[in-house]
Amino acid sequence: MSNNEARRTANRSPEGIETLMETVGEQLEDGQLPVSVLHNEAVYEAERRRIFGQNWVFIGHETEIPEPGDYRQRYIGTDPFIFVRDEDGDVQVLFNSCRHRGSKVCRSEKGNSSHFRCPYHGWTYTTSGELVGVPQQRNAYQHLDTDEHGLHEAPRVESYHGLVFAALDPDVPSLEAYLGDATWYLDMYVKFIDMEVIGDPHRWEVETDWKTPAENFAGDNYHIPMGHKSAIDAGIGSDTATGEKQSDLYAIADASGHSFSLYQIESDDPNFWGHPPEVVDGFHPERLSEDQYEVARKSGVTLGTIFPNLSFIHLGGTNAPEKESVGTFVLRQWQPKGPGQMEVWNWILAPENASEEYKERVYESGMGTFSASGNFEVDDIAIWNGITEAAGSVFAEQQAATTNFTMGRFGDAAPERVPDWPGPGETYVHGGLTDENQLTFYRSWYDAMQEEPR
Amino acid sequence: MNGEYAAYARRSACEEFLYNEAYLLDDRRVFEWFDLVTEDIDYRVPVRTTRERSADEEFSDQAYHLKEDHESLRVRIERLENDFAWSENPPSRTRRFVSNVTVLDADDDSFDVRSNLLVHRSHEDSTTPDLLSAERRDTLRRTEDGLGLAARLVLLDHTVLPTDSLSIIL
Ligand code: FES
Ligand SMILES: [Fe+2]
Repeated sequence: MSNNEARRTANRSPEGIETLMETVGEQLEDGQLPVSVLHNEAVYEAERRRIFGQNWVFIGHETEIPEPGDYRQRYIGTDPFIFVRDEDGDVQVLFNSCRHRGSKVCRSEKGNSSHFRCPYHGWTYTTSGELVGVPQQRNAYQHLDTDEHGLHEAPRVESYHGLVFAALDPDVPSLEAYLGDATWYLDMYVKFIDMEVIGDPHRWEVETDWKTPAENFAGDNYHIPMGHKSAIDAGIGSDTATGEKQSDLYAIADASGHSFSLYQIESDDPNFWGHPPEVVDGFHPERLSEDQYEVARKSGVTLGTIFPNLSFIHLGGTNAPEKESVGTFVLRQWQPKGPGQMEVWNWILAPENASEEYKERVYESGMGTFSASGNFEVDDIAIWNGITEAAGSVFAEQQAATTNFTMGRFGDAAPERVPDWPGPGETYVHGGLTDENQLTFYRSWYDAMQEEPR
Repeated sequence: MNGEYAAYARRSACEEFLYNEAYLLDDRRVFEWFDLVTEDIDYRVPVRTTRERSADEEFSDQAYHLKEDHESLRVRIERLENDFAWSENPPSRTRRFVSNVTVLDADDDSFDVRSNLLVHRSHEDSTTPDLLSAERRDTLRRTEDGLGLAARLVLLDHTVLPTDSLSIIL
């Protein structure tokens, strides 16, 4: 079968996915990706199982459920779960489906409750998922072993300094092993700083494949001057984007399959993403190595993607030129909703021990740059949407059209491996001019797609 | 003026203001719209969540889709006029439907007004519009140039926004 035929078959049938993935494997080596994977029914169905069914997936931040009984509805891929702090104070991720006939036992997005009572026939569960109430049990259900009928739990749940992840596959490695080298970078955000989610996440629907923004946040810094010109002209965003501060951009292309971009500002003044000294005073240098601390000290805006669908940006900047810069930490999750469709979830976090005024400014700055109304975000989305249309086209399929990730590959290009970068991963300087971060994302994706669902 | 007539005149004035600003926004005359906004504007679109009936509040007092003052609104307005503002270039086409205008409270120079808003937003050649529906609670204040928008709270009927991005004014 020719590549084209293979692709056409793949787009039509789940069986064809293996052939399509073979092409992906070959093409990735040359820095190409079949654009059709960004809008394809069979790929989407395979992703639900192979990506979201077999990897650690972000659920939420522990500060979203501070008290026993606090809960939030969350999703692993498209599967409904309850993220809840049980009566003992432990975090649980429970399948939101009654063990009787499957009805949803938790129907509001958030709240506090000592129990989940199913609206259909009244089976009642504790916040740790035990079945404790069955109406008329003595007359009707004496034989029922309630111990065997608790809510299903996500097979694996672990937290990394407040970031809670769950996995549907019981055999995944530990979360820490999965994050691997990425912890060196994550530590600068969640171990160095005790972070707190402010309010509720933004949620909105976008006609873009979830991989497009995941790839973008992995390291597409090349798009900033063009894609975000209007916001930069308006004088907002990060101090490095507005030209207020000079920086070198490092691309960490492969930190155990995850990627990061770090703008480093060489200056005697510490930068710490624009957090002012009184806020930085509340951070925890003793939890970082000297090298990590030094990178944090020089950090302007930094961003990255934890495979598969959690991205973040830590941005020192502002939403209006007259207003002072603050450090905003934004977490986002690209939730698959269908072929070429997703729902964005966006959390804004601030250092827990900062003042209330500071947290409010952090929120406003995050909202004004990266949210459904964010002056940066809105343009990204308008651009990404266009990809989806082409990706689903017959013509792209016929032509075996690919997207290009060869930037910075050849000897005459600026990006170079940095041998003496203090952190782990494959590091490049002039990181805005290499596609290696994006390739890392798609290699992780390709590898995960090779795994037959267990 | 008798009371009934005064109430009628008040409501008419408020309606006229709301219709006029809807025209300006739909015609993309955003700077003219911005002229209607007072310097101390407090403009908010809080995030809504699905809650149980017994919950006190569905709207967050911490999380917002928009929470703007004069300065930050101006940034948004200026950005929209930039040819590189891709989210509105080509612009989305909007049609605002304003109804159920009710003056809740009024003194000589300020009116608290409630209205319903339906925004029909279409992009490119799509025939499926994004529909945003909300209740608005506005404070309109008399200024030297007529009524001005001093505060706006937009209470969306959505928890998940059914539109790509909020690069429009509600
Ligand atoms: S489905 Fe839940 S009690 Fe019957
Ligand atoms: Fe962007």
